[in-house]
Amino acid sequence: MTDTTPSEGRQPRASAGEAVRNSLARRNRKQMVLQGFGIAAIVFAITMLLILLTSIIGNGYHAFTQTHVELDVFIDPEEIPEEGLPRGDYDDVLAVAMGTHFPDVDLSDRIATRELTSILSNGAQYILRDKVVADPSLIGQTISVKVPVSDPYDQLHKGLVERDTEEQFRRLDNDAIDRFDRLDDLDLVSKPLNTGLITQADSRFPELAGLKGALVGSFWALLTCFVISFPLGIGAAIYLEEFAPKNRWSDLIEININNLAAVPSVVFGLLALAVFIGWFGLPRSAPFVGGLTLALMTMPTIIIATRAALKAVPPSIREAALGVGASKNQVVFQHVLPLAMPGILTGTIIGLAQALGETAPLLLIGMNAFITSAASSPFDSATALPTQIFIWADSPERGFVSRTSAAIMVLLMFLITMNAIAIYLRSKFERKW
Amino acid sequence: MYDAPHKDKDVTQNDIKISARDVQVFYGDTQAIKDVDVEIDDKTVTAFIGPSGCGKSTFLRCLNRMNDTIDICRIEGKISIDGEDIYDPSIDPVQLRAKVGMVFQKPNPFPKSIYENVAYGPKIHGMARNKAELDEIVENALKRAALWNEAKDRLDSPGTGLSGGQQQRLCIARAVATEPEVLLMDEPCSALDPIATAQVEELIDELRQTYSVVIVTHSMQQAARVSQKTAFFHLGNLVEFGDTEQIFTNPKDERTESYITGRIG
Repeated sequence: MTDTTPSEGRQPRASAGEAVRNSLARRNRKQMVLQGFGIAAIVFAITMLLILLTSIIGNGYHAFTQTHVELDVFIDPEEIPEEGLPRGDYDDVLAVAMGTHFPDVDLSDRIATRELTSILSNGAQYILRDKVVADPSLIGQTISVKVPVSDPYDQLHKGLVERDTEEQFRRLDNDAIDRFDRLDDLDLVSKPLNTGLITQADSRFPELAGLKGALVGSFWALLTCFVISFPLGIGAAIYLEEFAPKNRWSDLIEININNLAAVPSVVFGLLALAVFIGWFGLPRSAPFVGGLTLALMTMPTIIIATRAALKAVPPSIREAALGVGASKNQVVFQHVLPLAMPGILTGTIIGLAQALGETAPLLLIGMNAFITSAASSPFDSATALPTQIFIWADSPERGFVSRTSAAIMVLLMFLITMNAIAIYLRSKFERKW
Repeated sequence: MYDAPHKDKDVTQNDIKISARDVQVFYGDTQAIKDVDVEIDDKTVTAFIGPSGCGKSTFLRCLNRMNDTIDICRIEGKISIDGEDIYDPSIDPVQLRAKVGMVFQKPNPFPKSIYENVAYGPKIHGMARNKAELDEIVENALKRAALWNEAKDRLDSPGTGLSGGQQQRLCIARAVATEPEVLLMDEPCSALDPIATAQVEELIDELRQTYSVVIVTHSMQQAARVSQKTAFFHLGNLVEFGDTEQIFTNPKDERTESYITGRIG
């Protein structure tokens, strides 16, 4: 009773209609307050999401372009003898090419030369080498090549280095900036799309570092995870839901599976380290081991999703099939399972999306190693997308800041795609009985 | 609704198809069926009537061992079809259900094509050697269920796209496609409108030529219209069993009379 209610006896009780009217204002107010809280929570969440996305995209978009410089290089037969192609002195050839634009630099002065060529990425000589090795007839000719510039100059060109900062606080001194500006004035500097971000593996030099190794590693790990967890998870779910006797043991198993889904991923990583690598002697850093670990984590998700999907198939369908004389097996595999498939696939995709973003267990089995080539099999050492983000976030070079954000964007894109597929499947195959 | 003249005349000439002796059914600790003795004739429509929860559906589902799928359900006593105990360990419920077809309360076609719905039973039992034979079985079953004319041009469209009455006839076609000897119907018209109900009732009378039909119904009018024999269940007991005409005109038990005249139920 509220305070305003007159004490009984003195006045006749308010009629029902009046009582409803009196309480209505209070009830409406409560509802408004609740709705207000709800809207505030949503606005807060969306704001946070926007801040997150803005910061990631704002940092990351720089990494999708890479500053290059175009040079006319004379492939000097004296520096690069035809018989020893891979071991030629490509560095010197590039220095000479640079020197043509800087006649004031004495190329016999090693320190001055090194300062000059520091504009070019360390990988430039290898790009040139690969070109010449692929086509030895280039020797003796002058060819035009576009090579990436090293990270500090890349940052400079993208405007990430403040030119008005005092010289002593800058990575690049005034001379270095002048030299780069001279190249820029000659219209030799360009900023094309950074295909290396996808086509190259990791590197110590940000301008050369790419995600290929991580993408391939994640692919192998997810494939292993899917191949193991999908059939095992569905099999376990079908047995538990359709065939297993309902008793204390099946209850115990069910509780354990539900608990397993809530175990912190780092624990799975330790388990994998001890069992797969310690006992079974499987290779470290291998996506196969990563996939096994992720399969352990994904399986409970798949089992729970599958059981829910099987339960959602209406009993009338089972009865119909039993009624015409289908055996238990036929009921399950010809009627129930096909109808539950969209739900199972949705659960599986969401489980795999979780696995794709999982970092901690992969760190423990060594998938955060520095590996400069893409794995050609699931047993080669590799990194995965989330661990690559971890490695880059940990690297001191300025260029890795934007690359970390770019890698996050790539990972998010995959996650969004996978979830979109799950939503599409769910809505497409949703049945109404 | 339709003419069914003197259909009760040939009742006594029929053989006994199903006989139940002293049947008890328990769900856990609750007894749902007590001491039921009944003999169901071949080529006859037998109706089970009674108030909700009286056990008529439970008893019906004992006849094709549908209750086996419920873990806590326990059945005692003896039920035999053609003199063979259907709860004998040597009997496979799958085999039994091919012989005893069932139509359910709510139309439940498989979410597959009309053809697939009817062909499913014959397929899993290996009743057709080739596509032509299967086509023939499907056609005959749909004809028997009076659905052929409506469905012949759309055999590949989904069974769930049919109207409620058509769906129920499709379910009947699916049940007769496996050539059962007994057809169990659990309130087959409760989800249908009066016109569809009339069609299904007409069909039930047709099916009597070939099968022993057992129908559970809430509608006493329906029981009176379609059946030759009627069993009245109350609180798990089989109160009275006899010719439909006798049950409705001259019930021996006062509980039957109360139910029929609308005083209990």
